[in-house]
Amino acid sequence: MINIFKKIIQFKLKWLAKIYLWRVKPRVIVISGTTGRHWIKEAAKEALEKKNFLVRTSKKNFNAEIGLPLSILGLSSNTANFFEWQKILWQALKTSLGQRRFKEGSNEPDYLVLEVAIDAPEDMSYLVGIIKPNIVILTTITMICAENFENLDEIGKEYEELIKALPWNGILVLNNDDLRIKELKKHFDGNVVTFGFSSDSQYKAVDVFKISDGQSFKIEIQRKEKNFLDTKINRFGKHHIYAELIKAVIGDNFKERQKDFFGKILE
Amino acid sequence: MFSRTKNINLSPIKQIELLASQIPDVVSLAQGVPSFDTPDSVKKAAIKALNKGLVAKYSLTYGLLKLRETIEQRLAEDGMYYDFEKEIIVTAGSIEAITATLIALIEPKKNEVILFSPSYTSYAETVKVAGGKPVFVNLIENEGWRIDFKSLEQKTSLKTAAILFCNPNNPTGTIFPKEDLLKIANLAEKKKFFILSDEVYKDFIYSNEDKFNYFSLAQIPELRKKIIRIFSLSKAYAMTGWRIGFLHSDEEIVREILKVHDSLVTCAPVISQYAAIAALDFGDEEIKKFRQQYEERRDLICRHLDDLKDFFSYQKPNSSYFVFPRLLPKRDSWQFALNLLEKAHVAVVPGVGFGPNGESHIRMSFGRSEKDINESMKRIKDFFQK
Repeated sequence: MINIFKKIIQFKLKWLAKIYLWRVKPRVIVISGTTGRHWIKEAAKEALEKKNFLVRTSKKNFNAEIGLPLSILGLSSNTANFFEWQKILWQALKTSLGQRRFKEGSNEPDYLVLEVAIDAPEDMSYLVGIIKPNIVILTTITMICAENFENLDEIGKEYEELIKALPWNGILVLNNDDLRIKELKKHFDGNVVTFGFSSDSQYKAVDVFKISDGQSFKIEIQRKEKNFLDTKINRFGKHHIYAELIKAVIGDNFKERQKDFFGKILE
Repeated sequence: MFSRTKNINLSPIKQIELLASQIPDVVSLAQGVPSFDTPDSVKKAAIKALNKGLVAKYSLTYGLLKLRETIEQRLAEDGMYYDFEKEIIVTAGSIEAITATLIALIEPKKNEVILFSPSYTSYAETVKVAGGKPVFVNLIENEGWRIDFKSLEQKTSLKTAAILFCNPNNPTGTIFPKEDLLKIANLAEKKKFFILSDEVYKDFIYSNEDKFNYFSLAQIPELRKKIIRIFSLSKAYAMTGWRIGFLHSDEEIVREILKVHDSLVTCAPVISQYAAIAALDFGDEEIKKFRQQYEERRDLICRHLDDLKDFFSYQKPNSSYFVFPRLLPKRDSWQFALNLLEKAHVAVVPGVGFGPNGESHIRMSFGRSEKDINESMKRIKDFFQK
C-alpha cells in the first residue's frame, strides 16, 4: 500500500517538475558523484550569485526520485502522512503552473543547481527522464554506494547516462583526480573542463598548504598565458579545494547577468 | 587475576538500575534515558537500509562516507570546520569515543586526566580503563557550579594528559561560559594537555540567551590540535539504544584515535549509521519538541522540589534533563539513595557517584514522563512524611 502511494506521488512530482522546467526554462547545473556534492553545489551557487543570477539549489539530501522534483519545485517534505502529501502536491501543482509566489521574491530562478544521487543501477535513467542538464559536474566515484553495484565501474556507467543527456553546447566538468571520472570525457564531444590537483587539469590547485585556520593554495588556470589565483579558505579537506576550483570554472565560463532596466536605473 | 579491572567499578547509575530491577513497581529517575521514542523518519531510514541489504557488512572504520559528509555539514553550520574524510570518526556512542580517545592520549608518564566533580559517573571509570588516573577538580556549588580555577591550576601538571568535561554538564546542567572555556584552553596550551569536550546535551539548553551564547572550543581553528569534541545522537534524537555518536579533531589526532576505535569496535553499528544520517538531516523538528517537553518537565520537577525545601536545596538547571539537589541536612548520598529505593521504590543516583564533591546530593532525571515524575515525587514526599 505504502509503495503504491509512493509510486503515485513520485509519478505526479515527476510530471509537475517537468511542466515547471518546460514553463520556466532555467539553466540546469547537475552535480553528481558519490561524495563532495554539497560543497560543490554551495560553491556553484555562490559563484552564480556573484554574477547576479537568481539561483535555486537542492536542500539537504533532496536529490533522488522524490527529492529531485521537490528541489526543482523549491519544495521540501519529510512526511509519510497521506494528507500532508496532498498539501505538498497542491503546492507543487501551483508552482509548476506559476501560481505560487516564493518568499524570497516573485522571480523564478535563472539557474537550478541540483545534486543528483544514485543508489542502484537504472536510477540515473529515471532521473534524466526529469531533468535535461546544461552543465554536468562530476565529483568522485567511491565505495559510498557500492553495495548495490557489481563494482565501481558500474557506477561510472550510470554517470554516462547523465552525460548523454547533455546538449551539444553543454559543459561537462570533471574531477581530473578520479580516474573513473576522468575517463568519462570520452563520452562527450562538447566542451569538457577538468579540475583537480593532477598536472593536466585545466583548473589546477597547486602549492597547497594546511595552515592553522584553513588551507592556502594557488589556482592555476590553463590558458595561453597561465593564470594564478591566490586563495585561502577556512575549511579543511581537499573537497573544499575542489569547491574553490568550481568557483573559478564558473567565474571563467559564465557571463555576468545583465541587470534589468529598472535595476540599472536604481543603481 | 583481574589486576587491570579490580579497581574499576560498575557505574553507580547501573548499580542502582540493577538493584531497582529486582524490586517491583519502582519508578526510576536514575538513568538518563529520554522517555521518547526515536523519531519515525529515523526508524524508517534504518528499515529502508535494512531492507535494501545495506547493513549486514562493516562500514569503513571511520564510518559511512555519507554520514561523515552530513556531520561535516552540520558542524559547519555551528562554525566548526572539519574534514569528513580524515577528521571525523563515527563511534558506538560517546562513551566509545571517549574511551578510544583516552587510550590514544594516555601515556605512562602522562597519565592523569582532570575531571570536574561532579561530572558524569562513567568518566572516572573510563579513565581507569584507559590506564589513567582520574584527578578531580571541584565545581563550586554556590557560584552556580562554576569551575574552581585555583584548584584546576594546582592539579594540572606535566603528568596531565587531558581534561575531560561535559558541556552542558551532567549532572548539574551547568553551561560553562566562553571565558571559562578559554581559560581551560590557555592552561592546556601552557601545560600541554588535550581537551575532551563531551557535548551530548548541547541541544537541550532552555533559555534563548544561553542557546545563543553557547560556545565550543572546537570553533577555534587554532585549537584544533588540542581539542577532541564528542557528540552522541543518544540524547538529542532519543537514540540511546542505537549506540551512535561521533568525534572530531585535527587529522593528526584522529589518525591515532582511529587505530584504537578499529581495535575496539571495527566500526559503529552500520544500521545506526544509516539512522543517524536521517536524524541529522530531518530530526531538528523533533529536537525542538523534545526540548519543549523537557523544559516543562524541568519546571514540574522543580515545583515538586520547592514543596520539599526542608529536605532539598537545588539550582534550577539551564540545560540537560537532570537536576542535582543537595540533601538537607547533609547525608550519605549512597545510603539515602538505597533508603529511597527500598522504602519509597524510587530510584535516583547518589551524588557521590559523580565525584567526591557530589556527596550529599542526588541526581534526578526529568527525561522521564510527567507521570513518572509526579508519581516518584509523590512517593518522595510520602517518604519524608513518614
